[in-house]
Amino acid sequence: MSPIGAIKGNWRVLLLGAFLVFAVVALFIPGGIVADDGLASDSVDSGPTNLEFGLGLEGGTRIRVPVAGMTAEDIDTGAVSDDGRVDQERLDGVESTLQSELDLDQADVSVDVQDDGTVTAEVFNDNVSESEFAAALQTADVDATEDDIRDGVTQSTRDNMIRTIQTKINAAGLSGGTAYESTTVSGDHYIVVEVPNMDADELRTILSERGQVEVVAYHPENGTQTNDTVLRGGDIVDVDPPEQQGEDSYAVPVLVSDEAAPGFQQQMNDLGFTSEGVGRCGLRGDGENIDFDQEGEHYCLLTVVDGEVVDAHSMGDRGGNGLATDMREGTWVNDPTFQMGAQNQQDAQSLSVNLRAGSLRAPLDFSEEQVYSIEPGHADQFKQYSLLIGLLSVLTVSGVVYARYTDTRVALPMIVTAMAEVVILLGFAALIRMPLDLSHVAGFIAVVGTGVDDLVIIADEVMDEGDVSSERVFQSRFRKAFWVIGAAAATTVVALSPLAVLSLGDLRGFAIITILGVFIGVLITRPAYGDILRRLLTDR
Amino acid sequence: MGYFDVPEIDYTRYSNRQLAAVPLAVLAVALLVLSGAFLAYGTPVPLGMDFAGGTELTVQTTTAEGDIGTAFDDAPESVTGTGSENQYIVQFSSTDSQALSDQAEGNLEGDGDAEVVQSVSSTSASFGQNSQQTAMLGLVIAFVGMSAIAFLLFRTFVPSIAIVISAFSDLMIPLAFMRLAGIPLSLGTVAGLLMLIGYSVDSDILLNNHVLRRSGDFYESTYRAMRTGVTMTVTSMAAMLVMAVTAYIFGIDLLASIGTILFVGLAADLLNTYMLNLSLLRWYKFEGVRS
Repeated sequence: MSPIGAIKGNWRVLLLGAFLVFAVVALFIPGGIVADDGLASDSVDSGPTNLEFGLGLEGGTRIRVPVAGMTAEDIDTGAVSDDGRVDQERLDGVESTLQSELDLDQADVSVDVQDDGTVTAEVFNDNVSESEFAAALQTADVDATEDDIRDGVTQSTRDNMIRTIQTKINAAGLSGGTAYESTTVSGDHYIVVEVPNMDADELRTILSERGQVEVVAYHPENGTQTNDTVLRGGDIVDVDPPEQQGEDSYAVPVLVSDEAAPGFQQQMNDLGFTSEGVGRCGLRGDGENIDFDQEGEHYCLLTVVDGEVVDAHSMGDRGGNGLATDMREGTWVNDPTFQMGAQNQQDAQSLSVNLRAGSLRAPLDFSEEQVYSIEPGHADQFKQYSLLIGLLSVLTVSGVVYARYTDTRVALPMIVTAMAEVVILLGFAALIRMPLDLSHVAGFIAVVGTGVDDLVIIADEVMDEGDVSSERVFQSRFRKAFWVIGAAAATTVVALSPLAVLSLGDLRGFAIITILGVFIGVLITRPAYGDILRRLLTDR
Repeated sequence: MGYFDVPEIDYTRYSNRQLAAVPLAVLAVALLVLSGAFLAYGTPVPLGMDFAGGTELTVQTTTAEGDIGTAFDDAPESVTGTGSENQYIVQFSSTDSQALSDQAEGNLEGDGDAEVVQSVSSTSASFGQNSQQTAMLGLVIAFVGMSAIAFLLFRTFVPSIAIVISAFSDLMIPLAFMRLAGIPLSLGTVAGLLMLIGYSVDSDILLNNHVLRRSGDFYESTYRAMRTGVTMTVTSMAAMLVMAVTAYIFGIDLLASIGTILFVGLAADLLNTYMLNLSLLRWYKFEGVRS
């Protein structure tokens, strides 16, 4: 046989070989097919293969939780004119009416123009009822009834929250965490957050903090101390990592936006922080809280996170180049930076994260959460067990197949081909960096099962009517067998495709692996098995 | 050939009615169990945590198995040991996973350096409700899709409907088994059921193909299809049994339930394919065509 003839005659087996080599490279050679673009810390302890593991086999926490709130869509505020101009004052007016009517924080009400030009009002508080919301809208001269109000928040709010959460978990120094949205068939939206190597309590703490940062001026007015919010988290555009400034004092250097800086400077000067109030803040903290029970007048800038006072500071002149000096002289706006205080490193760290990520637009409704959390050690146990279960299943299948045929020429290639299918699938999983979980393991075992089934069909069909005497006989029988295999594959794919598309927990991985396995089987491994069998049976 | 060979059954001894009676009777019993359970409990099969809501903790503790329940304010639904020493799976109907893990950490004896709470999994009732609808939809789509393919492949009514009926029975029998054995419906069992839709029709397609699309005697074609089909099904059943047993010992619920469901379903499939489907085919071949 000429070399070209040999290739032509065995192209199916060669193709299988090529795929196998490809899979092994993707599996075992670091950086293999795709360059390792993961985080450095990931690749250090990734074990002997390039496979990536999901939460269930690696350890970590996944929380799936809806956003608390309700929405009135496409409300008629009269704020958007036909030519697309927006009357922002009117929108702000509606927002503040809602806020005062429903007795909510500013952050819990939002009236916004959506991308399509409609106006949407959202309330992020589950204690407000639909009728109260509708009544408040009426008070704001918006014609809306209870029927216009639905549970849940807008897409743009969810997108915004997912970005914020993603930044938060990245900033908390956790690599590999992700936040994404999942939608159920009935149209409910959930935010899903997955973080490796973190337990449920920690993650819940991070997610339950709204992270609204405010700078509040605490100053005497008409004889009593009053609070005025002078800066909000959104006014701060850049944040540096926290710095330690003494034993119990930490600071987060921040840059105030050009829009907010002049106003802030003006307010500080008006309230007297840069004149009589310089250096006059007598509030002292105990490392956690601030003691407000002090005699006398105080001029303090309070760092407030989610309504809780984290630290209090005065403004100083520092011998002529302090913050108060620059503000008094009006030069601070040219370089609007200052330092926000915190009493301990943890607070400073979370302050810095909250400033960088921005605040969560709406709270999450943890009463409807779904949690999955597993210790890394336990997950590792699962990893070993599932490997063992997989091996045992393959052994069983091999045993049954051998017992059925007792002909090594038929049974051995059958087992080897079925294993090749799993190796190719694993290589593929490593290639696309699919994080493997228990459900994928079930998929792999199912693939071995269906794979061997089809090989049995081929073997029986080919050897059906006595020995295979010629190439032509083999081909005709092989084609007949393939009709059944194709039909069976089609039903499996159809049966599992809803799972691959619908979001039903962990089962997507199972469906995807099984469907992929069916395709690899029908297109690559089973034709190759046919070739191998033909050589073994006809070349005698 | 082989240590085990598929026995040749003399189908000529039995009438179509006799053949179909057995699987139909089993199906009837299954349906009776399911509808009875529906009337009595409100659901045909017991709903697991994934669908009804609840919390499952895996704890590592030296506290005796019998005393674990007392560590919690609300008594757990169940406490089961896993394959590992001092490791238990504790299930609750409460969904306050935070309080439950706090109670576990506070009241259970730690086992060396290991964390007491090894894994937490909790689903709220409303989320479970949602998953129920999704799972139902998935099953219906899968079944309808499979039926459509069956009709496309054979383009004649009787053989196609035979496949659909036996696939339906393949689903109902394991569901009834779940009710009787008290296996709750979980994501894993739903995956098993979907897999079953795909798996179980393989042998039906094989049988129909041999009988309808090949030349040759009906009984000879049937025997050939059986030889291949039974080997396939038995191989899969063996793999699933091993998976179910080992996963159960190791405490990996997902794999154990997929394995169990497939094992029972495939056993039902043997019955349905080679008695129900076969009798319909024989009737079609010998009488249906002529009429």
